[in-house]
Amino acid sequence: MKRKLALLLALVLTVMSLAACGSSKTESASDATAPTETQGAAGGNGDSKHLIVAWWGNQTRNERTQAVLDLYSQQNPGITFDGQFVEWNDYWNKLATASAGHSLPDVVQMDYRYLEQYVSNGLLIDLKPYIENGTLDVSGIDESILESGSVDGGIYAISLGVNAPALLYNKTLLDEHGIEIKDNMTMDEFIDKCREIYEKTGYKTNVAYGNGDNFIEYMLRSSGKILFEEGKLGVDSAEELKPFFDIYEIGMKEGWHVDPGIFVERNISVEQEPIVYGSSPETMSWCAFYWSNQLTAVQNAAPEGMEIGITTWPADNPKAANYLRPSQFFSVTVDSKNPEEAVKFLNFFINSVEANNILLGERGVPPVASVAEAITPQLSDQEKLVIDYINNVVTPNSSPINPPAPDSAVEIFDLIDKLEERLCYGEITAAEAAQELFEQGSKIMAGN
Amino acid sequence: MKSKSLSLKQILNEESVAGAIFTLPFIIGFLLFMIVPMLISLYYSFCDYNILSPPVWAGFKNYIKMFTEDSTFLKSIGVTFYFAFVSVPLRLIFALIVAMILFRTTKMTGFYRAAYYLPSIIGGSVAVSILWKRMFAIDGVFNKLLGYIGLNKDFSWLGNKDTAIWVLIVLAVWQFGSSMLIFLASLKQIPTTLYEAAEVDGANKWSQFWKITLPLLTPTIFFNLVMQMINGFLAFTQSYIITQGKPMNSTLFYTVYMYQQSFEFYNTGYGAALAWVMLAIIALITFVLFATKKFWVYDEGV
Repeated sequence: MKRKLALLLALVLTVMSLAACGSSKTESASDATAPTETQGAAGGNGDSKHLIVAWWGNQTRNERTQAVLDLYSQQNPGITFDGQFVEWNDYWNKLATASAGHSLPDVVQMDYRYLEQYVSNGLLIDLKPYIENGTLDVSGIDESILESGSVDGGIYAISLGVNAPALLYNKTLLDEHGIEIKDNMTMDEFIDKCREIYEKTGYKTNVAYGNGDNFIEYMLRSSGKILFEEGKLGVDSAEELKPFFDIYEIGMKEGWHVDPGIFVERNISVEQEPIVYGSSPETMSWCAFYWSNQLTAVQNAAPEGMEIGITTWPADNPKAANYLRPSQFFSVTVDSKNPEEAVKFLNFFINSVEANNILLGERGVPPVASVAEAITPQLSDQEKLVIDYINNVVTPNSSPINPPAPDSAVEIFDLIDKLEERLCYGEITAAEAAQELFEQGSKIMAGN
Repeated sequence: MKSKSLSLKQILNEESVAGAIFTLPFIIGFLLFMIVPMLISLYYSFCDYNILSPPVWAGFKNYIKMFTEDSTFLKSIGVTFYFAFVSVPLRLIFALIVAMILFRTTKMTGFYRAAYYLPSIIGGSVAVSILWKRMFAIDGVFNKLLGYIGLNKDFSWLGNKDTAIWVLIVLAVWQFGSSMLIFLASLKQIPTTLYEAAEVDGANKWSQFWKITLPLLTPTIFFNLVMQMINGFLAFTQSYIITQGKPMNSTLFYTVYMYQQSFEFYNTGYGAALAWVMLAIIALITFVLFATKKFWVYDEGV
């Protein structure tokens, strides 16, 4: 009899544990209709009034965005948020994995580079119906900026800010030594500056090491080329890729480029960028190849008393090379249980002056003109500098942005980083690096 | 009624039935969370799959690409073999030495055993990896210590392609605790009569170790070797957190490369194929280890 009981008990337990697995879905679905008070604790995508917002970024952005989420849930009782932020690289891993599990966050920060891929795989919702029914007000956004978030006639992403490539530099250091930086330097002028600064101050230069993908495109633009064409590279020979690698070869040979070894010890992040982080001039850089909106973050990460300046990336033909980049899009995903609420939040994020008074253009110049104007008095001098840079330095002297990069771009960017690395470790020459990029790159482009 | 309860009783009397029912939760979990995902990944390995869109059948394409075009694949295999074949023997030697030292019971042995065991629990964690990265940075503790004894203290251990892998090996060797415990347990199994007899015959401690301790420990060494070898090949966290394969892929573990292909380049089908090749490699190595067993492992005269 005892045995029978034990057997029954075991059976019952097994069945119960199975039942628990099977029913969890229906339970969370019924949760959605429960009173809102209990939902914050329940969490997850199953909750209709619980929105998950994900972005990549830096400390400044994380704090400001989180503050806006808090503000929104204060003003809209019943809406709770889970703000998830990670660094750029991890962000895309996380998003891809989540998409496979059909558990994408409700609102995701989207990049120009990935937009097409996510839309063509049906992971983002078309915002057009919400614009038409008035949930999402885009009347204040310039047509061309709105256009940048559209694919095949649908609008899938709203830009949160306009940026441009920007060379951020240690102004305090250069002022002390009477070195002046002017906008629109040519490549030779830039290299001369690197030499001069190394000689006078001991500070080295980091030419977008490990992150050279945008810079190589920028250099190619300057000579009227693009990196990616349909199914192939946009250059005809390795020779055209060589100038990019030449900079590293010269820099390593003459000693003014930072040692590649220091990057093994850090993450590629604003906080550990050699412009703000390092134990001696030997391991630091006087400049960083960044984006205009990152001035605030770099300034915040900089040690006490270091003022950061902003200028253009060097190019022989600045007008052809430079461009405005609508960036840091927000998209609503197909996995959102309540897209309506997500869109309402998106509307608040771009149109509310109150929200943007917190964000203060950290993601770039706000796309809604009236909002951009309204927040101007609140901006710090640094942030005003960024707006001035966009409006007066880049806008009058730039060309339209390249089309979005294809799917295989990520692999090519990695190849560029690897070649850059081998070059800086002295394993290959600039010519060999260019040759390999041309051959391997063409193969990758053809294969996908 | 009677016949029914009898038949139930009969079933109950079958120990295999009760056993099967008790193991059912594990079996279900094993099938659901091990076998099913493995089969799915086997399927993916024959597909073009990028996570975002549905997989498309591609035959042996991924496997062919791996062995004909992918130099990084070979590089990462080389790194992984180097890591496993250097760190595992070192770890076992270290574990055995410490086990011999801690074998004699004194007041503090309990404490020391726990203290030396600790790294093998926490050593694989992200926090320790980050700590390790800081310790071996140019301005880290390790260089500071070298500075105190007057050695060159500006060396970039992680930035140099010859030394970076050793930072990871040292971290792996440091986690000798679990092997040490197993050694300790089997040291206690060795009958003291053997040592007494050896002493009577005039053998010194050194030859006692070589003639008695080591031969009798070979089954344990074998077990540790197999287990640690498998762990060595599956090492991921150290490389992923500390170096990400840098510099120049000199620390690119196979598992990290697999992860990069799957989740960074979105070549998930290719990543799955890499995983199956890894399985084959580990199986082969385990097989080879077992094949050599009869030459050096003491089998207690069975």
